[in-house]
Amino acid sequence: MSDTPSEAPVKSILPKWVRGPQDFIGGLAMMAVALFALWASSDLQGMHGFSFGAGTAPRMFAVLLLLLGGAVALVGILKDGPHIAPYSWRGPLFVSAAIVFFALAIRPLGLVVSAFAAFLIAAMGSHETKWIEAIIVGACLTVGCALLFPYVLGLPMPMFPRFLIQ
Amino acid sequence: MELFANLAHGFVVAFSPINLLMCLIGALVGTLVGVLPGIGTIATVAMLLPITFGLPPVGALIMLAGIYYGAQYGGSTTSILVNIPGEATSVVTALDGHQMAKQGRAGPALAIAAIGSFFAGCVATVLIAVLGAPLTKLALAFGPAEYFSLMVLGLIFAVVLAKGSVLKAIAMIVFGLLLSMVGSDIETGASRMAFNIPELADGLGFATVAMGVFGFAEIIRNLDHGAEMDRNLVQQKITGLMPTRKDLIDSSPAILRGTVLGSILGILPGGGAVIASFAAYTLEKKLAKNPSRFGRGAIEGVAAPESANNAAAQTSFIPLLTLGIPPNAVMALMVGAMTIHGIVPGPQVMQKQPDLVWGMIASMWIGNLMLIIINLPLVGIWVRLLRVPYRLMFPSIVVFCAIGIYSVNNAPVDVVLAGAFGLVGYWLIKHDFEPAPLLLGMVLGPLMEENLRRALLISRGDWSVFLSRPLSAVLLAIAAGLLVLAVLPALRAKRDEVFVESEG
Repeated sequence: MSDTPSEAPVKSILPKWVRGPQDFIGGLAMMAVALFALWASSDLQGMHGFSFGAGTAPRMFAVLLLLLGGAVALVGILKDGPHIAPYSWRGPLFVSAAIVFFALAIRPLGLVVSAFAAFLIAAMGSHETKWIEAIIVGACLTVGCALLFPYVLGLPMPMFPRFLIQ
Repeated sequence: MELFANLAHGFVVAFSPINLLMCLIGALVGTLVGVLPGIGTIATVAMLLPITFGLPPVGALIMLAGIYYGAQYGGSTTSILVNIPGEATSVVTALDGHQMAKQGRAGPALAIAAIGSFFAGCVATVLIAVLGAPLTKLALAFGPAEYFSLMVLGLIFAVVLAKGSVLKAIAMIVFGLLLSMVGSDIETGASRMAFNIPELADGLGFATVAMGVFGFAEIIRNLDHGAEMDRNLVQQKITGLMPTRKDLIDSSPAILRGTVLGSILGILPGGGAVIASFAAYTLEKKLAKNPSRFGRGAIEGVAAPESANNAAAQTSFIPLLTLGIPPNAVMALMVGAMTIHGIVPGPQVMQKQPDLVWGMIASMWIGNLMLIIINLPLVGIWVRLLRVPYRLMFPSIVVFCAIGIYSVNNAPVDVVLAGAFGLVGYWLIKHDFEPAPLLLGMVLGPLMEENLRRALLISRGDWSVFLSRPLSAVLLAIAAGLLVLAVLPALRAKRDEVFVESEG
């Protein structure tokens, strides 16, 4: 398993008549976003008389996005375009994991623990990470942030795990 | 004479110790991110947005502005010494700058880049001060219809001057407009597309989306190529910073032309500093008696783009400060910063917050002076910083961003949302959608909707109001004309050519 995307052309699962898969999928996704916005704003009030209701503008722009997404997808059908760039999994996975862990841990465990742990989780996103070095830098960063945010910037946040303070 | 009184007032504000400190910090941080490849200006400003929360508004904006123009200085250092542009704006500087460094003339190249930037910065500062008041007066005469049309024009400009597909860029703007509508409706207070999530009731945080789409997405994308980048530093010691007499004579017309071109392109929405540096390089090459010198260490090829990008970085504050319309993504973030401090950007800012506007303008001149003084002696330190490997930098940025977003509202949900937008941003990059127009759309969304609604309310639902009011009609006509021009094949080819130039 390699985490760097390979340059070899990916076998396309799309039908042959799609000449620019990148644009085609991109356009479809925009259309999906537009349809979702239309659905999400369907319960809002529309025009009453000549004044806008809460739902008028969102629906207007959603329809516009639907048309634009359709146009992008159409370009993908009619014009030769690039293939979908290969994704790698390692970076996105560990960076997201670090972010989610931080969000879950900051309240119960405090800044010191969650920042340090999130640093190490994020560091797993690269196979070049050297652990001793990462632990030292992570510790320094944690100390720096623990001083910077609450004291220098005056933004209060929990520092240590709740069960230790009580 | 009002101008001098205003500037004097600005200098009084900017010379207060706290603001001087903020200016210095901004300039230093800007240089730092400019020097380091892999961290963009937009991402940095997004990262530091939450931090400015605890600062006084004037100091906060002075610092953020310093980061923006400081990065233009820093970017040139990496381009010249390492041949890796630290910023997109310094891509063309690498062409001739690195050649000069290889010939042992790194010192003069760095010095000319700094002198050119400083000159451009001074001119741009005066230009902002001169144009500020009249443009504000013009903007105050605008009704909602004109304002709406102006914003349409601004967005179209941004699309036309930016790189990539026009269609996709417009789609991104509309996507941004839709994102801006999440939350409470301004007039009726009805909850829109918030799915009863309490954190969404006030809308998607601007810092959250920006940090996700620019900060996290950029990190994830950089990891694609593996964390290690080649950094073939110029090994020999940098000796003799002073450019020769001939260097100065050769480069002064180039600095002048770069400044003029950059100032104009900076005011126009869209490419801003990036397109300015490309255009300035192209212009120099066209005007040169012997174009073959370019790419082999021509000093004009360093002087012109560096002056242009710095001029453009600063004049792009003009539409923001006078009209309240951000011409590029960094300015959009400045709007975010203003909003965090409860300042609604627009023409009234100049009258209601003279401290803020004039203090910021004056601080730019001071900042430029600081940069030229601190930068040349510090080159050695910046070069050493380049040896910090990305494998240690990226987890630090992730953690720093996460803490920053959390601190804005003390809301863990915001952190998760930013992470989600990071993945969205990664997907967008993979599908060749530019995230910058999305941010512009999101910032302008509430303003556009409000003015659209008001214009139609005043005209009793008659859409022709946008065409029957002359000023509005002219603005829309220019927008339509630009759009047509942009999709015409001949001009498209030319536009792409400007961006391709660097790869040669």
